[in-house]
Amino acid sequence: MRRIAVAAASLLLAAAVFTGLGAATPGGKFIRTAAPVPLPKPKPKPAKPKLPPLPSAVKSRKHWEIGVKCDFPPFGFIDVRGNNDGYDVQVAQRFAQLAFGSKKKVSFTCVTTPSRIPTLMSGRVDIIVSTLTWTQARADQIDFSIPYYSATGRLLVPNSSSVTVPTLAGKTVVTTRGALYAAWTRNCFKSTKLLEVDSPALAVSAVKDGRADTFMFDDAFLLGVATQDRDVRLTSDKFLNVPWGIGIRKGETAMSRWVNAALRYMKKRDEFVKILRANAPARLVSGFLDNVPRPKNTFAYPVGKDVTTICP
Amino acid sequence: MLAANFDWQFIWDHLPDFWEGLKQTLKVAGIGIAGSLAIGIVLGAARAHRVPVVSWLAATYVEVIRNTPILVQIFFIAGALPHFPGHPIRLEPFTIAWLAVVIWGGAYNTENFRAGFEAVPYRYREAGLALGLGRLGTFFNVTLPIGARIALPSTINTNVSVLKNTSLLTAIGFAELTNTAYSLESESFKATEVYFALGVTYLIVVWTLSLLIRVVERRLALPEAR
Amino acid sequence: MPDWVDPVAHYMLHEGLKNTLRIAVFAVAGSTVIGILLGTLMTIRFRPLEWLLRLYVEVWRGLPIIVTIFLVYYALPTTPYVHYRFGAFTGAAVGLTLWGSAQVAEATRGAVQSIPREQHEAAGALGFGWIGRHLFVILPQALRRLLPPLVSLIANIIQNTTIASLIGVTELLATGQRSIERLQFEVGANSHAFAIYTALLAAFFCISFPLTRLASFLERRLV
Repeated sequence: MRRIAVAAASLLLAAAVFTGLGAATPGGKFIRTAAPVPLPKPKPKPAKPKLPPLPSAVKSRKHWEIGVKCDFPPFGFIDVRGNNDGYDVQVAQRFAQLAFGSKKKVSFTCVTTPSRIPTLMSGRVDIIVSTLTWTQARADQIDFSIPYYSATGRLLVPNSSSVTVPTLAGKTVVTTRGALYAAWTRNCFKSTKLLEVDSPALAVSAVKDGRADTFMFDDAFLLGVATQDRDVRLTSDKFLNVPWGIGIRKGETAMSRWVNAALRYMKKRDEFVKILRANAPARLVSGFLDNVPRPKNTFAYPVGKDVTTICP
Repeated sequence: MLAANFDWQFIWDHLPDFWEGLKQTLKVAGIGIAGSLAIGIVLGAARAHRVPVVSWLAATYVEVIRNTPILVQIFFIAGALPHFPGHPIRLEPFTIAWLAVVIWGGAYNTENFRAGFEAVPYRYREAGLALGLGRLGTFFNVTLPIGARIALPSTINTNVSVLKNTSLLTAIGFAELTNTAYSLESESFKATEVYFALGVTYLIVVWTLSLLIRVVERRLALPEAR
Repeated sequence: MPDWVDPVAHYMLHEGLKNTLRIAVFAVAGSTVIGILLGTLMTIRFRPLEWLLRLYVEVWRGLPIIVTIFLVYYALPTTPYVHYRFGAFTGAAVGLTLWGSAQVAEATRGAVQSIPREQHEAAGALGFGWIGRHLFVILPQALRRLLPPLVSLIANIIQNTTIASLIGVTELLATGQRSIERLQFEVGANSHAFAIYTALLAAFFCISFPLTRLASFLERRLV
């Protein structure tokens, strides 16, 4: 009986701490500076775009099953109502619109950086639109669509830090597991310690909480963090520019054909810029116009060369 | 036995990586087991002897730790303590690693030792007091040697679990065995090879540890339990 | 209550807690059924079978659960001849079931062996075969001893469902972390990590504490 009383007391204590804290926390209102503005209403289309036939499994199901990130703003994250949102998510919703005439005809599955390819291969999802950088090892496992975004590597450091790419020796670099940056760091910076975590958010807290000196990652994510958070900044280093693709199971040619045609259609109509505008803070958009496919902006994967062995 | 496309060479080539990870696992597990035994003896004694306040706090500690997932505890130490209102606590990954398993194992060992000490017949303690050993002397000369040996079998499970729980430190990127394997797999996609090797390594370590402790236990067992 | 609490709580309960409990239900049911079956079979004196079952129990009890889940979710699809693929949800439930069934099997073996020989003989004399004897005579009696470990198992499995977050299942821990990240992203440097992780600890405590209390109550009453 006494132990129950003890436990009840400790529980009450925990609850009190929690509610007291909650009440004391300022800034409860949502300031959604970096949050997406709803997509502009689709203009009445003159004619349905001519796309190859949908793969039969998707067609008969009458909606997409797509794997997206849930921990990767502004590309894939969970919004205030618990819905998926972001650049990748809106690309997926555009696929639903192109295939079924409604952007609601898609259901999302959350994937993490290490789990996304196994989730695709498990058959749980049709495709993954999940910040997937092209690498040869990944291309041996799955097929990539044509690129739909191109990221550049940057370093996020605390304001007071003097770490840059030339001074990485002996420092601790945090990045996400399986990212190009991990292999690049191992190959090029032998005395640098590496901390590999499962989500970029965990990596940001590793830098902020002092467990790592710098977070090496994709520019779009880091810039979003640096604009929100006054404690951290980006260095001027830029490295490892490699495009992202949509992941498709090997040998599903009908799927590749449809996805590539849809991406080409969106590129021709400059739709990626619209999606970018809907997801990035307005003042940053101009700096990222070269990162998205546009009618006159085409990316190519570095097929045949291992970029992680090219050192500065 | 396994098919030809099982890449033994890959495991062979990465044995040094596994070894590096295993060293970290053993280091953290070693600190974890030693620390949790120390906590267990001290707080277990406080619980068994109903030391005011300390006993009450120890009971709360035990219940909170045993009734919450260790993964959340790890994230709490790594992710919540740096945002402790008014007094941020920032720790190194290695500190987080051993601290998390010591706190977890300490709670279970407190229960193990409490039960052990309470099982020491009261007349033994009375005898110690009658001999003029004093309360502390009685604990060290009577209750501890007998009670700890009664508690030993149940601490085995806890100690093995401490070792196994170091694998969860992979969630904060601490470079122990599971983390090393997970990162290796994320780049090479040799999932079968990597996790087969990982599983075998854990089984060897866990079985060896249980065997070792069992040998020690047999040598320390109370005469009547032999 | 500040404004951010309501949507976070809603998401964590409706998505996170729901998935946590769904995985737990599958894993507890699977562990109980498979574990009792294997544990009863373990009492048969037939060497190859004994060794096989002993291996099953020692392997799945010996491996850290996270490694078991990685084996099921990541390794099986690329294993020669197997190539079996699970979704993340099923992968986590299967991994937890392997661990849980090994625990239940060991407990069942002990419980069945604690039933006096005379019970077996009496049931045999009444004309029960091996299956009928165990199903109708031995197991109902063994269940008394089995109930406390089964209740602790429920608490343990609920706690261990958090490992599913590492392969992408949006269970309670994952929804809490996604909420911390979203708030960080939207309102900037002011972190809610401390409040949300404290809430997570409190939530798991509220679920687990009554179960562990019940388990030790049953242990005192029934054994």
